[in-house]
Amino acid sequence: MQWWCSARGIPWTWDWRPYPGVWLLVGGLLVAWVGMARRHRSTTGERIRCGAGLVSLWIALDWPLGTLGSGYLAWVHMVQFLLVALVAPPLLLSGVPRGALERLRDTAVFPVVRALTVPLVALLLFHTIVIATHWPGLVDGLMSSQWGSFALDIAWLAGGLVFWWPVASPVPHRPRFPWGVKIGYLIASTVLMTLPYVFLTFAELPFYATYELAPPVGALSARDDQRLAGLIMRIGGGTILWIAAGILFWLWYRAETESERRAPR
Amino acid sequence: MRHGVGTRGHTVAAAILAGAALFACSDAAIDRREGAEGWRGVELPEPLDVPDFSLTDTSGRPYRFREETTGRLTFLFFGYTNCPDVCPVHLANLAATLGDLPYAQRRRVEVVFVSTDPERDTPERIREWLDLFDPAFVGLRGPIQRVNEIQGALHLPPAVRQAVEERRGGYVVGHASQVLAVTGDGRARVVYPSGIRQMDWRHDLRQLLALEDTVAPASGVAGSGEGAGAPGGRTVH
Repeated sequence: MQWWCSARGIPWTWDWRPYPGVWLLVGGLLVAWVGMARRHRSTTGERIRCGAGLVSLWIALDWPLGTLGSGYLAWVHMVQFLLVALVAPPLLLSGVPRGALERLRDTAVFPVVRALTVPLVALLLFHTIVIATHWPGLVDGLMSSQWGSFALDIAWLAGGLVFWWPVASPVPHRPRFPWGVKIGYLIASTVLMTLPYVFLTFAELPFYATYELAPPVGALSARDDQRLAGLIMRIGGGTILWIAAGILFWLWYRAETESERRAPR
Repeated sequence: MRHGVGTRGHTVAAAILAGAALFACSDAAIDRREGAEGWRGVELPEPLDVPDFSLTDTSGRPYRFREETTGRLTFLFFGYTNCPDVCPVHLANLAATLGDLPYAQRRRVEVVFVSTDPERDTPERIREWLDLFDPAFVGLRGPIQRVNEIQGALHLPPAVRQAVEERRGGYVVGHASQVLAVTGDGRARVVYPSGIRQMDWRHDLRQLLALEDTVAPASGVAGSGEGAGAPGGRTVH
């Protein structure tokens, strides 16, 4: 039995396969959240967002998406990337009880978190991870082993948490990161993500041996699979980032309206 | 402070360029591999004469291999349509690469698929399956004993039913996973095991077509004994 999804080169079947490593990760995060929620009061919104984040992570990493993405279809691998790096992290971050994040200031890890979540550092770190984890040599090298595949998924999750921290963390560790710049930060990311998209979508030949030589699932050719992966990255990733930018704009508008209402006349 | 902003700007620009370079390098790596000398497949130490066999094509007509492929570069592959991995991957990658060739070159290349599972592979089934890759691919079938004799003459292992999948009521066929590149003189020269990628096919196709220009067509076609058969001169019918 495998503990984490990886490319195995065996024909695809719809037979369910268990991945205890995924359950351990998602279960561990849930236990950690429950612990925080017991010590600090959590709101209904936080509970919903955290639950949605954990479900996104679980869907992305477990059977069948995890299995298909790790060894059969590049476009499913891209869907996994979007869920793990762009959907789950902001939900998880905004689902952590505010009190728990405030207490982070008193812990030893805070200087590290503070250094990593400097917006420019976070932006560069995340996009370096995105490019590196889509580089064919690395993907083919890692996907064939469970530890390698695990490392790739964790890199996406860690990179996503760092990337989203400056815009999604409810505690303003950096009050000088104004709304407008936050929106610009997300829009800049849509531009940076164009790079891997262009290479995936317009490459003449398949990049990844993992997917080119995988036992076929459906009638999609290796080239079309790769193109679809590029399009999902561009359209799916762009949509997520633009929705997030829209939410930030709405929050900004609400905050401005509120402050104007409270201002003495 | 302005200096700091400038440095940050340079850092961002450098990071973007580094990212572009990383991907460009991976693309260039493919190009470099394409430019490498030699073969991506396994070149046979001595070209192997392909026996002058005859099997039935998907329209029910006899197909005499030598007669039909003389003067053309031919990829000969033994497999079966229910194959879950090697056969569809080989044929899909070969079809994709051949599809990139200009028409004049494409028409110089033949792909011949011989079924190692004639029980399930009806002519209709083979045709339908090959059409998924390329309607120009030739599909052949015949008694499994004969197919195995041909494979034996080509130093390939015989096809065997390997296991029964009780739950699905089917079986899998163990078969040679190599594609043989046969030049127009009826000689197999390069062998392509599973794991050959499109970039490998693209690279070797250029060389095979160049080689094709230098070889003389088989002197004896349609069953003349001259040059026919594997080392040892065996001809299989």
